[in-house]
Amino acid sequence: MIFKKSKTLSIMIFMLVLMIIFVGCTKPQETVTPETPAEDISIEENTAPEITNKTLLLSTTTSTENSGLLDYILPIFTRETGIKVKVVAVGTGQALQMGKDGDADALLVHAKASEEEFVAEGHGLERFEVMYNDFVLLGPDEDPADVLANAPKDILAAFKLIHDKKLTFVSRGDDSGTHKMELTLWKELGLEPSGDWYVEAGQGMGAVIQMTDEMQGYTLTDRATYLSMQSDLDLTVVTEGDTQLFNQYGIIAVNPDKNDKINAPAAEVFIQWMLSDQGQQLIGEFGKAEFGQSLFIPNAK
Amino acid sequence: MSEIVEGFHKAIELLVSLDKEIYEIILLSIYVSLASTFISTILAVPLGVVIGAKSFPFKKLVVRLIYTMMSLPPVIVGLVVFLFISRRGPLGYLGIVFTPTAMIIAQVLLVTPIITGIVYNGTKEKGEEIKKLAKTLGANKVETLILMIKELRINIFTGIVSGYGRAISEVGAVMIVGGNIKGHTRVMTTAIAMLRNQGDYAMAIAIGIVLLFLSFIINSLLYHFQLGE
Amino acid sequence: MNITISNLTKSYKEKLVLKIDDSHVNSGCFLGVIGPNGAGKSTLVKIIAGLDQATTGEIQYDSTPLNTSIYQKMTMVFQKPYLLRTSVFNNIAYPLKIRKVDHRSIEEKVNQLLEEMDIQHIKNQNAWTLSGGEAQKVALARAIIFQPSLLILDEPTANIDPASIFMMEKTVRHFHEESKATIIIVTHNLQQAKRLCTDVAFMHQGNVIEYGKTEDVIFSSKNQITRKFVEGEIIL
Repeated sequence: MIFKKSKTLSIMIFMLVLMIIFVGCTKPQETVTPETPAEDISIEENTAPEITNKTLLLSTTTSTENSGLLDYILPIFTRETGIKVKVVAVGTGQALQMGKDGDADALLVHAKASEEEFVAEGHGLERFEVMYNDFVLLGPDEDPADVLANAPKDILAAFKLIHDKKLTFVSRGDDSGTHKMELTLWKELGLEPSGDWYVEAGQGMGAVIQMTDEMQGYTLTDRATYLSMQSDLDLTVVTEGDTQLFNQYGIIAVNPDKNDKINAPAAEVFIQWMLSDQGQQLIGEFGKAEFGQSLFIPNAK
Repeated sequence: MSEIVEGFHKAIELLVSLDKEIYEIILLSIYVSLASTFISTILAVPLGVVIGAKSFPFKKLVVRLIYTMMSLPPVIVGLVVFLFISRRGPLGYLGIVFTPTAMIIAQVLLVTPIITGIVYNGTKEKGEEIKKLAKTLGANKVETLILMIKELRINIFTGIVSGYGRAISEVGAVMIVGGNIKGHTRVMTTAIAMLRNQGDYAMAIAIGIVLLFLSFIINSLLYHFQLGE
Repeated sequence: MNITISNLTKSYKEKLVLKIDDSHVNSGCFLGVIGPNGAGKSTLVKIIAGLDQATTGEIQYDSTPLNTSIYQKMTMVFQKPYLLRTSVFNNIAYPLKIRKVDHRSIEEKVNQLLEEMDIQHIKNQNAWTLSGGEAQKVALARAIIFQPSLLILDEPTANIDPASIFMMEKTVRHFHEESKATIIIVTHNLQQAKRLCTDVAFMHQGNVIEYGKTEDVIFSSKNQITRKFVEGEIIL
């Protein structure tokens, strides 16, 4: 067993060395999907302003990027509209900050209260609900807090168990949507987690899941990121399905009055497309083939 | 741009606030980078001198490897160290992942080639002459090595300063092996990366300014020490 | 120290640069090695000093091959001295320090030598800030402070001022009289050889052409090439 692992390790290191060599030898490839000739572009219901700038800067959270959703739907969007989407995947905090600074054209984030505040302050035009995913609580396969037995559908009870037994809990600790969700839950319990068992990582979801796996602790994660990493982990879902764990994504066009670089027409086209029947259907489809379940549930109104 | 100005204000606020968390971060940064530079110096100085002064098979290859390793990307070093010390890795039983010890190990791997390379260069230039002199004055091998190190102290000093600069400023390796855990393995650079992710640019700049300020002080101390001998 | 050379040759990449048949340097001899550029003078003294390897043949020092204890008893001064990055005092004291001489004797000996060479004023100066003449004097002081039995000087006074040359020659002569050490000096300066040496070896194209008492070689040589060299003709 150990032998096998160290063999895997040496293969990984070997691959790494190969990669270093290859990266040094090959030109970086253009990954942008080729543009379709102009005459093929047919934009339903939105024939109005002629779109001159064909590049859209979308600021989003790492969870949408890491899950692979954007890689799945954006090439289709580009093929149909001729608009290339540049994705900047950051934490929700920074995504909103980029919107405030006028450094993005549209935002796809999941922190409802902050989003509504963002629009109310005039940084964005309007917030549309586009889809949701859900959070799950991950724990070691052995589940030392017995969450799976005692609180498989009750996230507050699960948090209480971990807190009382002082078992390692890895928090994002980075002001992200996931972190905010976690803090809300502690607050509802009236607890202030602190101590050696409560690890504040200040890193992205993927890194935090890795750390949780490494430390054999518990963590709150979105389902999509977990599923994409599942195969390499000695972690299992211990709590899921609590309505408190639903995570609504909103999409917002940044207020074009901020500066003249903001591509409002393209943002408008993108938002309409995401909310359209076709966009919604694609979102619902994503992940079914690989994981047997949808990672994001479309719910545009 | 306004974040930079704000960053200056916040940097001053941070330093005078005596906030425990920020001082812990600063102290850990200094501890980790000084410890790794110190260990690297002990390893790299004799290594650089020996490689510079001796001839042996594949010397050219070894020198080229050291030069290449001087510019190792910290993330790669972090990743390799992580794979070794992670629970599944061959050194997993040590249980040092996400500890300051792991951060020091990763930085030693980054800093040692830098000091070795710089010391090697100095030895290559002057080593032959020093060796010749030591021989004609009747010095034995150990005495020759000591004399060599004494004579090359300016190169060694340059190596130490460069190595320390690398250690205190790198983020990739300490982020991966340390995990940026609040109150435990969070250092200035990982805090800056985290704050940037959170969109708190002013605070990130503030810590950056503190980092530069500290580097300046430590470099000045080293410089003073070097002149005062 | 007696030095016996037997069938010494040195080749660089197949090219023979030095070929010396059996020769002997007596203990207490002050030997000048003279000859035109490229004659092999420096190569020869480097091999004697153990800084270069002979291709064939061997050298014996007091009837033994080169070993650590012989290294301890001989030294060499180069045309361009390397001084340690420290004070003049520490430079001169270094050979005594590694020979574990006590501090008081070191202080005493160094001061005495500094005085003899009239360079007390630079005792605490950083050796890297010295002029060429001062630097060479310090190098000489550092070489003789531990009373070597064999002192090799490779063009020590080339490119330094006459006053310094005078002082260095005086010091070397004094050291020779006191210690009875064997001294070998490579020089271009015939007058210097006349002033200092008991014996002279004339080298040409890797060979010792003539070797004998100074007056015999320089004043009444029967050898054609030597005479031309002594009379100042350019020889190739």
